[in-house]
Amino acid sequence: MNALAQKVYDFVDERIGLKTLEAKMMNEPIKGGSRWAYVFGSVLLFIFIMQAVTGVLLMFYYIPSADHAYASTQYILNEVDYGWFILSYHFWGSSAMVVVVFAHMSQVFLWGAYKKPREMVWLVGLALFGLVMAFGFTGYLLPWDQRAYWATTVGVEIMDKTPIVGDFLARFLKGGPTPGQMTLSRFFVIHVMVLPAALMGLAGLHLFFFRSAGPAGPFRGTTEELKAKTDFFFPRQVWKDIIAMATVFLAISALALVEPVELLQEATPDPGDYHPEPEWYFLFLFQLLRWRIFSGEFGQSLAAIVLPALFMLLLAALPFIDRNPERNIFKRPIALVSWAVVMIGIVVLTISAILNREYLD
Amino acid sequence: MTTDVANVSSIKLAWALCWAAFWTGFPLKLMVAVLLLAMQVPPWEGAGMTALLIVSIPVDLWALGLTARTYFLERHGLELEGGIGLTLWWQGALIGIAFLAAAYFAGSTAVSIGKQIAASIIGGIKKIFPGFSIAEQITLELLLWSIPVAVVLGVLALVALKIYGWRIKATVKSAGHPTAAPLAERVRRWDYARVPRDPGLLLASFAGVIVLLTIVFWLFLPVTTPHPSEDYKVQVKKPVKPLKPEDMLKQTEMSLAKADAVLHSLEQEKGKEKKKATKPEQKGK
Repeated sequence: MNALAQKVYDFVDERIGLKTLEAKMMNEPIKGGSRWAYVFGSVLLFIFIMQAVTGVLLMFYYIPSADHAYASTQYILNEVDYGWFILSYHFWGSSAMVVVVFAHMSQVFLWGAYKKPREMVWLVGLALFGLVMAFGFTGYLLPWDQRAYWATTVGVEIMDKTPIVGDFLARFLKGGPTPGQMTLSRFFVIHVMVLPAALMGLAGLHLFFFRSAGPAGPFRGTTEELKAKTDFFFPRQVWKDIIAMATVFLAISALALVEPVELLQEATPDPGDYHPEPEWYFLFLFQLLRWRIFSGEFGQSLAAIVLPALFMLLLAALPFIDRNPERNIFKRPIALVSWAVVMIGIVVLTISAILNREYLD
Repeated sequence: MTTDVANVSSIKLAWALCWAAFWTGFPLKLMVAVLLLAMQVPPWEGAGMTALLIVSIPVDLWALGLTARTYFLERHGLELEGGIGLTLWWQGALIGIAFLAAAYFAGSTAVSIGKQIAASIIGGIKKIFPGFSIAEQITLELLLWSIPVAVVLGVLALVALKIYGWRIKATVKSAGHPTAAPLAERVRRWDYARVPRDPGLLLASFAGVIVLLTIVFWLFLPVTTPHPSEDYKVQVKKPVKPLKPEDMLKQTEMSLAKADAVLHSLEQEKGKEKKKATKPEQKGK
């Protein structure tokens, strides 16, 4: 068996240079050695692959039409063998992706890994962050229940407030005056075709830029320490990546088992008793829109579009504004305080939005 | 290159060990929790919690021992002797229980006082700005009471870490002895204590564990949802009788014979009607 495997390996190697490829992939030197802090990129790739696998399984049964989307989702949940678990895993996997993207961006920011010569890695990473959010937004409509319908309605209304292109974007996504068949078709195509293709392309580019620039390494430690600890990607970093992936898989499975997906009533243009709300990772923004200081047409545009857009522009410009080569976060007080303020702000506003539910009636 | 343990902050030392030990043991505990959940046994109550606690104790003993040995070898050039995991575990458990009790009382007191102060501040603001919205009120109230509560809990956590750090230092002083190995050798030993030496064995053993756990998980996992939707009507399929060609032919023949008989009787009736219709005509002639 080993001889046969070796023959197959040699056959492939002779034709595509497998050994060289393997050496390039696995023998990447990691300055300062392997670390748990470096697992986020691999974990994100793993979550995306699992989302693709579970997504394909769901597509075997899901029907993307306004007449059948809800019934087919209920069928997956109630009748397809293990369908409830696959759908719940897919649902929680999307949340895990957002959490890990935040963790990955935080790690890169705190480690100062966006600085020269890794500006391109950072910029492509920001685009990937946008794609992950778009995945969550488009996937949320597909079950076609009240929650899905009204979260999308709220989301598209927010998008409508964008200056110049907002009206076009909202009309393009809705495909009509109210969300209906055209909206579902467009969201489905974007979710299962456009976004995965874009994500695969950008993730490849992200990895290419990362490999070209090389890993940043730890921000502390003497040259002698870093030299002594420098190691190849395989086996120690691979081992840590595998453990992290297994832990994330277990965490998503646990969430799917504790809180499996349950649909509300089928989508109707009348919200009834249901209070429209976006997915949890947009709740902080949703709560901000409820503030009186952001009321009115101008205020809503400011909170929903202008401020988030300015924040993203600031992040994009960060490597070009912050030219100080110092990477140690404890010697970059402005960066540390800014990160803490943003994180506390997001957490406080999200909890506020949850507490606010009690006052909606 | 190595620093004396006595010169290290007790808080930093305790935090470094607790953080690393937590993440070392967490995947194993999570694995048990997921298997319990797949068996429909909640791990936060009753038998599930007991099972998880029983599993957690040896996992924590191992994780603390491994973390302490690797940490002190790498950072301080110290080899630790004996059951260091057990010693650190019971000390940590005692301090942890005391911290949780103190955090519960101090935390709940801080929450109630904080909420009262927040309510009076918000009452004052509402008098000045009557249009103060509920959304802004909730966020301000949350900030007003959660910040002091976080400070109280943070101070308590620092005290607990400080005490644990002292205990760790005392334990290491009696159980540790310096090693003459150079940094590169210590790093190698430290790393191999955590990662298997043989890459092939690493992948094979991990793949084996994954396959085994997947099978066990799939055996326990309910096939249909444990939370069926009330709105969804389960589609009951009516049993379909198996098709027998001979019966079908017989039925068809019988239908044809019936149709033939009906046709025949219709033709006869038509014939009689024709006759009746032609007789009066003949009489008239």
